[in-house]
Parts: sequence; structure tokens; C-alpha cells
Amino acid sequence: MLAILKKEFKSYLLSPIGYIFVGLFILMFSIFFMVTKFNYSVLNFEYLFYNGATILTFITPVLTMRMFSEERKNGTEQLILTSPRSITSVVLGKFFAAALIMLITEALTFMYFGILKYFGDPSIMVALSTLGGFFLLALAYISFGMFASSLTENQIIACVLTIGVFIAMWFLPNLVPALAPFSLINMFDKFPSGVISITEVITYITFTILCVLLTIIVLQRRKSVK
Amino acid sequence: MIEVKNVSKKYGKFYAVRDISFTIKEGEIVGFLGRNGAGKSTTMNMITGFIEPSEGTIIVNGYDVDRKPKKVKEQIGYMPEGTPLYYDLTVKEFVSYMAELKLIPRKERKAAVAKAIEETGLEKVQNKLTKNLSRGYKQRVSMAGAIVGDPKILILDEPTVGLDPKQVIEIRELIKSFRKNHTVILSSHILSEVSQICEKVIIIDKGEVVAVDTPNNLEKEAVGDKEILRLTVEDENDKFETIKESISNIKEIKFVRTNDDKSKEYVIETNSDEDIRKVMFSKCAELGVVILEMKKDTASLEDAFIKIVEDRPEYSEKEIEKQEYEKELEGLRQELTEKKEEKEFRKQAKKEEKARKKAQKEERKASKEASKEENKEGGDK
Repeated sequence: MLAILKKEFKSYLLSPIGYIFVGLFILMFSIFFMVTKFNYSVLNFEYLFYNGATILTFITPVLTMRMFSEERKNGTEQLILTSPRSITSVVLGKFFAAALIMLITEALTFMYFGILKYFGDPSIMVALSTLGGFFLLALAYISFGMFASSLTENQIIACVLTIGVFIAMWFLPNLVPALAPFSLINMFDKFPSGVISITEVITYITFTILCVLLTIIVLQRRKSVK
Repeated sequence: MIEVKNVSKKYGKFYAVRDISFTIKEGEIVGFLGRNGAGKSTTMNMITGFIEPSEGTIIVNGYDVDRKPKKVKEQIGYMPEGTPLYYDLTVKEFVSYMAELKLIPRKERKAAVAKAIEETGLEKVQNKLTKNLSRGYKQRVSMAGAIVGDPKILILDEPTVGLDPKQVIEIRELIKSFRKNHTVILSSHILSEVSQICEKVIIIDKGEVVAVDTPNNLEKEAVGDKEILRLTVEDENDKFETIKESISNIKEIKFVRTNDDKSKEYVIETNSDEDIRKVMFSKCAELGVVILEMKKDTASLEDAFIKIVEDRPEYSEKEIEKQEYEKELEGLRQELTEKKEEKEFRKQAKKEEKARKKAQKEERKASKEASKEENKEGGDK
């Protein structure tokens, strides 16, 4: 797994993808920071992550859309799948590499906590719970994006599928209230209030594990139908 | 080393590979020959464990690909068709990554990478990005990825496709150098290449193995027991064709064409593999025919391939389905007969057992009665 993780992480840094993801996120996050702090004089660090979750919904595919579809299109999938490495280690390696990029992005957002700390007294505990919840949401998003990427060799289709499902998860509960437990982004609302809800944490973790498993199954299944 | 037993790969009703079986021994260089879409890559992909066969088993060095894929993959170095590479990596990084994927221990990795780079002649470009290399070098990088860690088996899918003649020769020499330490399987539709490199040829057509033999034997089979001579002669009096009467071994003389210098070209078929060139020379001299050129024609692997592939009957899908159905029916019939035979055998065995028990019972009864009588007699006495 470590070999795949290292290679994937390096690929994110050697190609523009990693920089586009981090750059886009920080740019939009900064715009929201500027608007909320200077126009509305709100000094909460955690509230910024409501906007952060919205940004994440739209930019996660930048990180995930190429994960398996590019390998499949270029034929490098053959190199990985004919090596003695297990499919599980391949999937986990790729997943954790994307998670590492996400972790770096989140760490960069912490500079705004420093700025706010200079002007006011934001709570570090609430900030950490928010960051934790946000990371869990990001992992769930990455896992689904990875699953979508394993379904097709076309990166655009993987991207559209990922954003489409995220938007559906966001808005469908408004139309069908029964679908509320499936809305990952709405679940995040509790974390910026300083509440670490077990239900939400378990849902995020379960959703992530499910998507990782589905990706493994898709790749395993393709061996017999390829 | 590699045993492929009754392997089929089915996509819906379509068979990409149908019921193929062959064995490859250790140290052999084997060539897969076949037209595009014949099933060469599918077979290779099944051996590497990249795709699963629908039916049949593949054993690599004693391990079943289906049950012990990791053990099998550890022994195989695979160079896929189209040389897929990671273009954001340098040559050295790519080969190192392949070494890591192949679970080569950290201590041995550096040396293994250096060896693979050296063997494939990539030292000069090892720090270049793979995307900036020429096609020939990309092919070499892909090969370095396959040979790193010295796997026992090398599977090379179309290793020379798209290369210029010089690069083709270089890659061929490289493959020949693997002969000492590896079992090599390579696929190609360039017949001369297979003929030069391989000791054994497996011809696949429409998903079926149609021939497994050495290139020499296949070439011999293509011509059969006849021999062919090609002659260019100066024959002003048109006497050449009368030569058939004086040389009994000649089966047929075919006129090919008259050249610009009025010389004539003929193809002569002889009945046996006896060399008639000497006789031909003296008879032509007697007839006043001047031989400008005389060449003994040998069949190439290409002739053998064309003969084998084109001699195969063409079946429509319906006919194939019918054959499948009949095969299945035959299997069921056989199964039924076996079951019937087994039933009869059991019945017979039961009968015999019953008879044996009856005989034992009667024997016991008789001995009982005899002992009773003996007792009685003893009592009377």
C-alpha cells in the first residue's frame, strides 16, 4: 500500500492536479473569509467551513476523477493489477494519497485561525471539532469520487457523476425528507457548533468504508467481465 | 512451467478464447502467432491473472492462477501491449516503482533497478521523463519494468510493434539475451520475428489453438513432401518443358512469365525431397537451355501460418452454436451412460452381496444342524 500511496502522492505534486485542488480551495476559502470577516465582521473560524463544505462538493472530483479512469485509459492499470499487490492495497494506497492532500489543504486553512486569534478569541476546541468533521466529510467525498472513477475510463464522466451525486445528496432531502440521513453535507452542520455527534461520525466512516469496498468489488469484478 | 488446460474466455455468447490447452517448459521462448483479434492478448492476460478465464485452469510453476494469484504474479514480468507508462515519472523512478510493486525487498531494490536499466540499455536516459523518450526507448522502459527483479517468466505482448527496423533488431537481440535465465512468451503478428526468436510457436486463430510446434516443423509441414525449384532460363527453342520426360521426379512444370530480356521463369514441383538440381543442370545443357538462375524454394513460417489458418473451415455462428449444443448433448449422454452403468454395477453388487449373505446363512444353518445332530448322537451314545 505504501508504494502506491507514495507514487500517487508524488503524482499529485508533480502534476498540476494537486496544486489546482489546494489552490482552488484556498482561493475560494479566502474569498469567503474576506467577505464574512470584513463585510459582516463575524469572527468565528468554524463558520467558514459551511462555505468550505460547499467548495469541497464542487472540487473533490479534481482530486478523484483520474484515480482509476486514467489508469484504465492509459493501460497502466495492467501494470498494477498484474503485480503481486492486492487490489485492496491499490485502492487504499490511492485513497490515502488523496486524503493526505486533503489533510495538507485543511492544515493550510488553519492560518485563518491564527489571523482570527490575533483579533479575537476563537475557541480552539470548536475549531478542532470542525476540522475533524470536515476531514471526515472530505474522506466520504473522496471515497465516492474514487468509486465513480473506478466505474469509467472517462474522467469527465467520473467528474460529472461525482458532482451530480453530491448535489443530489445536498438538495434531495428538501424534496424528499426521508432522504435526509443520506445528505452528507447537511450532516456536517453540527460540527461547527462544537458538537461531535456519534451518528454523523459513524455515518461518514460507514459511507467511506462502503465506497472503498465498492471500489474494490468493481475492480475485482472487472477481472471476470473484462 | 506453464500449463493451460481447457481454458475459455467468454463475453456473453462470444468466445474470445475457446477451449485452449498447451504447455510451456522452463527456459523456452514461445511465440504466440495469430491475426489481430485471434485471442493472443486475452490468453496472455489470463496467464498474468489480469483477467479470469470463464472455464479451465492455468497452472504457473505449480500454482493455480485462480487460487494463488499472488504467487503466480511474483514469478511473472509482464510487458503489456502499447507500452503503458507513467509519463510523470523518470525512467529510473518508473523502474523503481515497478520494483516496489513486485515486492522486491528494499535492500535489493536499488541493485535490481540498476541491473534492469543496464540490461535494457537505458543508462543514458535513466533520469529523463518517460514522456520525452522515443518509441523505441519507451518500449525498452516497459521491458525494464517487466524484467526488474528477474522474474522467472517474461510475457511480452507485441514487443516490437511500431518500431523502426533498427529498433526492432535491438529489441529482438534483447529478447534473445533473456533466453538464459527466463521463460519467455511473446506475441506478434510479424512471422519472421517469431521465426527468428522463438523455439516453439503456438498459432491461435479465432480463439482456438490450431498448431503448437517448432518453426522448422511448421515450415516443413507447409510444403509437405514435395520440393520446389524456381528457374530462370534462356530457352529460344522452347524445349525446356520437354525436360519433364527425361527427369522422372518432376511432378509439374509451371510457366510463370517471360521477362524483358526474353528469359523465362518456371516453377518446378518434384515428387520427393531428392535434390534434382544437378540432373536439371546437365539435362538443360543437353537441350541447349541456358540456366540463368536456379533456386531451391523453402517454405517460410508465413507459408505455414497461411496454410494452417486458411485451411481451417469457416463456421457460421449458428453452426458453432450447433456444435456447442451437440458437444453438450454428447456430454450429457456420456454422463447418463456412466450413471446407468454405475446403477447396474451397484445393482449387481447388491445382488452378489445378497447371494453371499444367503449362502453364508445357509452354511451357518447347515453347520448348526450338523452340530445339533452331533450333539444328539453324542447324547444317544
